Amino acid sequence: MASKTKTKVKGQSFGAWLKDKWNDNSITDPLHRTRYLQNLVFRIFAISLILGMCFTILYPIIKLLPMVLNDVEDLGNPDIVWVPKTFSLVSFKAAIRLVYGNFSIILWSLLYAASIAVIQVFISAMAGYVLGRIKVPGGTLIFFLIIVTFVVPNQALLISQYLRFKNFDIFGIFTALTGGPIDLINKPATLYLLSFFGFGLKQSMFIYLFRQFFMGLPKELEEAALIDGCGFYKTYFRIALPNATPTIMTVAILSFVWNYGDTYYTGYFYPEGPFAAVKLSQRFAASQSDTIVTAVQTWFDKPAASAFAFDAVKQAAVLIFLVPLLIVYFCVQRSLVENMEQSGLVG
Amino acid sequence: MKQEANVADKTKKTRKPLTFATTQKINGYVFLAPWIIGFLLFFMIPIVNTVIYSFNKVEVGDTGGMAMEFVGTNNYFDLFNTEVSTQSQQFIRVFTDENSDVLLNTPLIVIFSLFCALLVNAKYKGRGIVRVIFFLPIVLGLTIVTDMITVSGGGGDITAVATTATEESSFLMNLFTQVGFLPKEVISFIVGVISDIFGIVSKAGVQTLMYLAALQSINPSLYEVAKIEGCTTYETFWKITFPMVGNTTLFIFVYTLVDLFLASKMSEEIYAFAFQSNKIGVGSALSVCFLLNVLVALVIMVLILTKVVKLDYGK
Repeated sequence: MASKTKTKVKGQSFGAWLKDKWNDNSITDPLHRTRYLQNLVFRIFAISLILGMCFTILYPIIKLLPMVLNDVEDLGNPDIVWVPKTFSLVSFKAAIRLVYGNFSIILWSLLYAASIAVIQVFISAMAGYVLGRIKVPGGTLIFFLIIVTFVVPNQALLISQYLRFKNFDIFGIFTALTGGPIDLINKPATLYLLSFFGFGLKQSMFIYLFRQFFMGLPKELEEAALIDGCGFYKTYFRIALPNATPTIMTVAILSFVWNYGDTYYTGYFYPEGPFAAVKLSQRFAASQSDTIVTAVQTWFDKPAASAFAFDAVKQAAVLIFLVPLLIVYFCVQRSLVENMEQSGLVG
Repeated sequence: MKQEANVADKTKKTRKPLTFATTQKINGYVFLAPWIIGFLLFFMIPIVNTVIYSFNKVEVGDTGGMAMEFVGTNNYFDLFNTEVSTQSQQFIRVFTDENSDVLLNTPLIVIFSLFCALLVNAKYKGRGIVRVIFFLPIVLGLTIVTDMITVSGGGGDITAVATTATEESSFLMNLFTQVGFLPKEVISFIVGVISDIFGIVSKAGVQTLMYLAALQSINPSLYEVAKIEGCTTYETFWKITFPMVGNTTLFIFVYTLVDLFLASKMSEEIYAFAFQSNKIGVGSALSVCFLLNVLVALVIMVLILTKVVKLDYGK
């Protein structure tokens, strides 16, 4: 890897290349030689740094693999650390049986995250467009309030929001219609309402990103559209929105990933919903350890399974949970990283 | 002539068409309407209610009605004097732990993410793969994943992990104390940070992305000029790169601070107070204290930062 990043001739060894460079006439004088040495040291340092960082990021995943692929009875055996003696998929089977069943929960979670992401993009883009582009009275105040909502932690609002959803009513409309407030806890509507009205997961930040993007978009595009007879809505949907594709991608990806892994909104406002993240955190709470170990022992006829089996099953469950996210990530990471200077992420 | 036209107009239309600016404003408010309604429903009213609850003894009836009894600041005194957290800690302790944790980690994460962004922004072969790996924390850094990926259960296991960790760090400690000239406290701090490197890495995904965006938006001609004038890489960084990402740095600081406070276990405490031990008043008092704490930390941080980074540099 190290030698690959150098500009060396094919088939020539790294040592020979080094010698070649050293004896090269252009670098015989002392100044060039020092420069060359400095450059070399810097490069080696940078390469080892990059490799080290990559390793640090991947290490937890690498460390998981032997654990989940090991036979549950071999876990905790000090002789078996990296290479499993007998490969087995018991941890995965247990995780599937405990949490995922027929995987419908994963599908529902993905569907939920995707639909919330669409709502968040749609609403945030509209608000961001107005704040970044249109001069409305009180626009600066609204932007300031968005920053305030961004920095206020959700937890501080938990009780009040919870009670509000428990007895939901908008200005007495529901009481007039149905004779009483409605209970919205454990209803999917709660989560969609929050996102639709701009208070979903980190939505203030998304509005901020869209605002930053639309502020930097050339005005001429919209002016041309207006002169050619487009109204406000046509200009927005035909000109502004298509140009915002980089930001839409960024926001959609972040929103999708965060909502898929969210346990705050889903866990408190819809705890019985089909959400993989919530179910994982409930099923693998530390207090569940004994139950799960017993389950593994009886289901798979592994009487010697120890408390390590809990960890193995837990990590297998997380790996299954991560698979759809990783697939999405590898498909879209290119568009996430490229052309980012246009995506509004620049402060 | 004009008069006649006006009269003719009036027979056709009864009112003047709206000016362009007015339609823009109206349509602007239509676009902002969901957010404004949401702000009132899900932010303004809840925050006012939370403050009200915190000064009251709140009882929730079976039918959903609420009975409130004004108790002044008793809830706040109870919170810090008699109540304990779910981990049986005094709340003053919970708050100090939380703050020292967040205020130490925020600069570390920001510096680290700038560093990562510089690494993935440089040009070398295999940069694509490195980028894929460096942005993995966006996915791997989800709280649910980091919580569960770490080995926590199994008594034997935790000791095994702990012993290897201490062995490694004691080795590092020895190495640094032998070679270096730094006092032992500084070294143990550094070693502590290094041992928890994944904790920092996993929280730096989005920040790295933002910094990379900022780095890519710097005008390349600035670097060209610096190179022609004979700047070293070091000087280029401090004179061009760092000032040019000033705005982003401020935003990332705020983002990281808020994100770290959001990830705290405070919501569980608040939930436990309100819905498990049925002390909505005390829970609200805790909410208000937490909110004030975050805002104060934020204001202090922003005040310090505006002295360090130059905002709107070169604009």
